[in-house]
Amino acid sequence: MAETTSNTRPAAFRGKLSGIFSNPVTVKELRSRMRGRRAFVVLTLYLLVLSAAIIFVNLVYVSSGSYPGNTMTRTAGKGLFAAILGVQVLLVTFIGPAFTAAAVSGERERQTLDLLRTTLLSADAFVLGKLISSLSYILLLVVVSIPLQSIAFLLGGLSGVELILSQVLILIAAITYALYGLWCSAAMRSTLTATVATFSGTLFVTFGIPTIAFIGLLIFGSMGFMTGSSLTTSVEIALVYIGLALAATNLPATLLISEIFLLERDTLIGATETIVTRSLWLPSPWILFIIFHVAAAIIFYIAAVRRVRRVSDV
Amino acid sequence: MASIIELRELTKRYGDLTAVDDITLDIEEGAVFGFIGPNGAGKTTTMRILTTLLRPTSGEARVAGYSVMAAPRDVRRAIGFMPDFFGVYEDMKVWEYLDFFAACYDVPAAGRPGMIDDLLALVDLGHKRDAYVETLSRGMKQRLCLARTLAHDPQVLILDEPASGLDPRARIEMRELLRELQKMGKTIFFSSHILSEVADICTSIGIIENGRLVATGNVGDMMSRLRAHRSVVVRFVPSAGVDLAAVAAGLENEPGVLSAEVDAAMPSTLRLDFGDDDSELSALLARLVGHGLPVLTFSEERGDLEDVFLQVTQGAAD
Repeated sequence: MAETTSNTRPAAFRGKLSGIFSNPVTVKELRSRMRGRRAFVVLTLYLLVLSAAIIFVNLVYVSSGSYPGNTMTRTAGKGLFAAILGVQVLLVTFIGPAFTAAAVSGERERQTLDLLRTTLLSADAFVLGKLISSLSYILLLVVVSIPLQSIAFLLGGLSGVELILSQVLILIAAITYALYGLWCSAAMRSTLTATVATFSGTLFVTFGIPTIAFIGLLIFGSMGFMTGSSLTTSVEIALVYIGLALAATNLPATLLISEIFLLERDTLIGATETIVTRSLWLPSPWILFIIFHVAAAIIFYIAAVRRVRRVSDV
Repeated sequence: MASIIELRELTKRYGDLTAVDDITLDIEEGAVFGFIGPNGAGKTTTMRILTTLLRPTSGEARVAGYSVMAAPRDVRRAIGFMPDFFGVYEDMKVWEYLDFFAACYDVPAAGRPGMIDDLLALVDLGHKRDAYVETLSRGMKQRLCLARTLAHDPQVLILDEPASGLDPRARIEMRELLRELQKMGKTIFFSSHILSEVADICTSIGIIENGRLVATGNVGDMMSRLRAHRSVVVRFVPSAGVDLAAVAAGLENEPGVLSAEVDAAMPSTLRLDFGDDDSELSALLARLVGHGLPVLTFSEERGDLEDVFLQVTQGAAD
């Protein structure tokens, strides 16, 4: 009996996996996207740019006389890792959602959405197919950059935990932002408005929230300065937690602060900090990031499916 | 024979506008039903309700026994829908296009290649199997769309203006295809405003105007209805100097003659609106000749569905 269970589990997983990749929408999109030289050229150019950056960093540090393991080289390793991570952040924040922003509205504009809605294809399968096909290419770009990222290991200064954590966060952000783009595409009539809404959203999360947080910090700081009194302890504690929560909505901030927790506090999960006179446990922001983004991804997925499923009244 | 499409008091309103107004209709299995009416009459709205794309305001629509509201998935399995636009993916090959839609209809992957070849042969696109859809002509794209509607072997085909925008040759090809599909036992519900194509291939028609179904029945019934008011043209020898006004006045009292008037466009010609009794028409000719009137021609003008359409619609919609 136990044997049967252990055999059926991988079989069920394989069935689900083949189900995902036999989704007609995924197959159609991947056929179109990977056809011809375009996909190959983009992939090659992307890797060439990354490779050039690595060669440049390497040349700079080799000429400075550094050798593997010394402080200078470890800094180079960190720099290399950060540079590639930055490219990955740009990919999942802006390029991935750009693919999905046209996913539903493009079908509407091509007048094929109604055709699909008269078939047996469910709204779930349609949205999932669009998501997987859009993510596949972006994740392909992310995955092919991992070997280059691993060069940072040779230079030292990079741990396996850092690499795995960063790639998990990138993956979750890619899924969430792609689903946000899909929802915009399903909710809006044209690809143009869906694209504008998608970019507005990702720009707001990436740059808007940190800007607002920074302005808020300045305002609070100046208020304390003007009144000549420092903020109360409870306000300061609240500000710390709010700041942490805001950081967890932002991929670059989460990557950066989680890295600080790892390097300076030597902790993956969280650390105890003393704020004024009180000791507080502060979670590393990647935990909140995952909670926020998984919740948002589920909400966007359900909302997109509902929009696609909705029988028209007009 | 059982009804495969049933509409019961079907109504669709958009605010104050009633697009479909209380339509009740039954279409038998195997019929080729032509849904005709001017632009904006409500044809497409009715079809969108039948294809589960639009929710009716009231009433009921059933296809193959399934309600479009309660069992939309079963309705979708029973129908193949071709809208009045192509709806094609330009960056796909012809076989990929059919394969994609067959997959969307849950046709098993193993059976698809053979099915695609059969469909392409049916619509005469076998030689375009590996061509990109964007390279096809308008007529070919329309035939490809028709092949798509057949991917899951549906009982009912719902075709919105299938010959719209096609050149004469492509239109004839489309008509032949519809005949072929009828032979295969498909029920075809199609809309058109080109009456000649409807008359040629339909077994029954419905005429819709301003959202209301103003006439429905099989083509034979429709033609009989037209015969109730047939037009008879009587031409006399021009040189005989017949007093047409006096003859017309006299004919008005003859049995079967509903009205008689001088044809201003044709010399020495009277135009009669006559009833449907053939013996009365024959007797009238005998009496005219018996009275010594020099009848040159005595003919019934052949009416077609276009006349039916003009009779039952007021041409208000458009």
